[in-house]
Amino acid sequence: MSNAAVLQMKGICKSFFGVEVLHNVDFGVDKGEIMGLCGENGAGKSTLMKILSGIHAQDAGEVIFKGSVIRRNATPLEMQRVGVSMIHQELILLNELTIAQNIFLCREPRGAAGLINFNRMNEDAARILSKLGEKIDPKRKVRDLKIAQKQMVEIAKAIAFNVELLVMDEPTSALTGKETKILFDLISSLSAQGIAVVYISHRLKEIIDVCHKVTVLRDGHFVATKNVADVTAHEIATLMVGREVKESKASDFPGDPNAVVLEVRGVSDDLLKDVGFKVRRGEILGFSGLIGAGRTELMEVVFGIRKPRTGSVFIEGKPVTIRSAIDAIRVDLGFVTEDRKETGLVLCRDIVDNANYVSWLKNPGMFKGAKATMENTRRIIDRLAIRCSSPAQNVSNLSGGNQQKVALSKWLLSGAKVLVLDEPTRGVDVGARQEIYQIIRELAAEGVAIVIVSSDLPEILSICERVIVMHEGRITGTLNASELSEAKVMYYATDV
Amino acid sequence: MIAVESRAENRALELLKGIWRNYSVLVVFVGIIGICAIAAPRFLRMDNLLNILRNTSTVGAIALGMTFVIIAGGIDLSSGPVLATAGAVLILLQRMVNADGTPAVPLALAIVACLAVATSFGFLNGIIITKAKLPPFIVTLAVGIMARSLVMYFMRGATVMGNNIPQFTRIGNGSVFSIPIPFLLVVGVAIIFHILLTRTKFGTYVFAVGGNENAARYSGIKVDRIRIATYMIVGLCTGMAATIEMSRMAAVAAATSGSQYEFEAITAVIVGGTSLTGGKGRLIGSIVGFIILGIVNNMMIMLNISPYLSGCVKGAVILFAVLMQRRER
Repeated sequence: MSNAAVLQMKGICKSFFGVEVLHNVDFGVDKGEIMGLCGENGAGKSTLMKILSGIHAQDAGEVIFKGSVIRRNATPLEMQRVGVSMIHQELILLNELTIAQNIFLCREPRGAAGLINFNRMNEDAARILSKLGEKIDPKRKVRDLKIAQKQMVEIAKAIAFNVELLVMDEPTSALTGKETKILFDLISSLSAQGIAVVYISHRLKEIIDVCHKVTVLRDGHFVATKNVADVTAHEIATLMVGREVKESKASDFPGDPNAVVLEVRGVSDDLLKDVGFKVRRGEILGFSGLIGAGRTELMEVVFGIRKPRTGSVFIEGKPVTIRSAIDAIRVDLGFVTEDRKETGLVLCRDIVDNANYVSWLKNPGMFKGAKATMENTRRIIDRLAIRCSSPAQNVSNLSGGNQQKVALSKWLLSGAKVLVLDEPTRGVDVGARQEIYQIIRELAAEGVAIVIVSSDLPEILSICERVIVMHEGRITGTLNASELSEAKVMYYATDV
Repeated sequence: MIAVESRAENRALELLKGIWRNYSVLVVFVGIIGICAIAAPRFLRMDNLLNILRNTSTVGAIALGMTFVIIAGGIDLSSGPVLATAGAVLILLQRMVNADGTPAVPLALAIVACLAVATSFGFLNGIIITKAKLPPFIVTLAVGIMARSLVMYFMRGATVMGNNIPQFTRIGNGSVFSIPIPFLLVVGVAIIFHILLTRTKFGTYVFAVGGNENAARYSGIKVDRIRIATYMIVGLCTGMAATIEMSRMAAVAAATSGSQYEFEAITAVIVGGTSLTGGKGRLIGSIVGFIILGIVNNMMIMLNISPYLSGCVKGAVILFAVLMQRRER
């Protein structure tokens, strides 16, 4: 069987800043095999795959691809040439170039005199996209695309050339059910052609659905490789965290239904059509719907980032004017955005800064107050169990789940009364996900009104006490936890 | 036992790496001084060293302000022409005399006017950049070109001598305990700025705006105000540089006053380790940066090398400094 192995990684070790993130990890994939790769945040999945794709060099161990040892400092381009392609969790497309230019970057078809043959490039790009079920003009700039479309471009880029091994890091985190289905069919057909796929996901159901085998990492160590047929999602989750995981289901809001903290009325603009909602003290309200239903846009209106044509906001019954984020902050609103890299965090600064920006704004005085700041930061690191080497660590060096906790921390430290969380667990693994749910529940118990926007139905089901479903800028349904089911939500989300 | 030793070695190595990461510019600085001392023994004489400090103060003052602008993700290419404009205002005011020969405008008022003019240019840059949403490179380039042109026009391209006022001359040429007054001024401002940058909320927001403007905006930081403030700071610094320069030269030259100073200041900031992409940087680095540039100028004279070659050396210093910073990552 070993001659069927397309990839073998043996005894891989890697440290960053003196912190070991991979310890003697073995990993292998056979020809045509779909291998799931699971682990909590910080388990080392992404780092392992970045070593494979030539972005990082391992400290020890070797990578054997199709029987030959790959040199330690191989570049991403070299790895692409031997047949390793990677789709990253965070999309890395060039916004100012067209779709076709992105797909063929560095590998553009040449015509006479070595110039780029744009016609052929655009035709080829259109052909690849249609294979993915995407009918989008390849001459459009990537900047103008929705996030799901960008994901498709990433995939098109990865499969545009002959690949032997395709690595996908959380490819479905921004995709709708239909797009996910297309992707899975595609993965299966690639596998049938003999292409090996490494599939990283926190959605264990997907692993079970699409993969042949699954490898689990924990804290940088290899835990197990199992046949998917032999394990349940629950067993994989247990392997990942090293203890039993309990799934919970929310019940109806038990608090005072008249204690409305935030009320939004009649918001309309190009996308939103007369949308309004209320959220009460201590309530966890969910917003479900497909990508593009206008949920994020609605929250941006509430937070003063987006200007609506009409609409009004009331805090504890009093009308307020919110023209910018600072106005929203003054009335104790908080907003954890869906894209922490773009709008949530200043990646090149440390945890202290990122956790305290809002509370500094709220407190009077021109000095930061080094002592109070440090105490607050340490308190929040403890409370949210942020795994870091020190409060002075740059946020860019943290894993996704820990970054998300830092993004959350600035609103906790500033004492928000209403907290909007947009895709709070995107790119966050099972263990940290449960931790974040626990934090959300604790906040609600303390009286914070919580609004969660999520495309992840199990998440909505497990945490929200009431769910508002949107479709194309309209609210199509409101469900209490007791009457909530995936089928009902999908019924409203896909329009009545 | 071996494992323990190697861990201790590792720790020592990490410590050295840490020193290098945080203080590489200082290490390079000490190295340069060593090389200079060997190449030209006269270099280490106290009068020469003090002279270097005096000569670098003008660019140094601008570099202090430029550090704020660059950390916030901007750049200011108008400093040289703004120095000439503010300097011209200062000279014209201080040479106005009453019929009896006494100054018509108090010296302090003339200096305040100089600072105000330079700060206004910073405000103008900041307003255009933030409200018209244009790239700082283009806006400050254009404003700089216009400022230089206006000075040329109003002074008919000439050099104008100032009146000999002893208190004024002393600003640029005097010493306290044999330390040059302009350098003391720069150090004083640097201390205030260092506190501003590292201890105040404003300083943190400057870093945040340069690091990720969107995240700063979503966190409620008034991004535009912060950016305008950084341009006003570099403007104020340029006004201070103009005061020192006018005091030392006792004249303003419409065509050449402050010429190339913006590039010298930007060079100092880059050599000092501040990232041109914004979000990262230190004031102490910029100080060492401009002193290194001063040493380069000084050594060219000491070693009798053609001044025409100074650009070559400075260019090499920039490349070397940036390469070193890349390797730290």
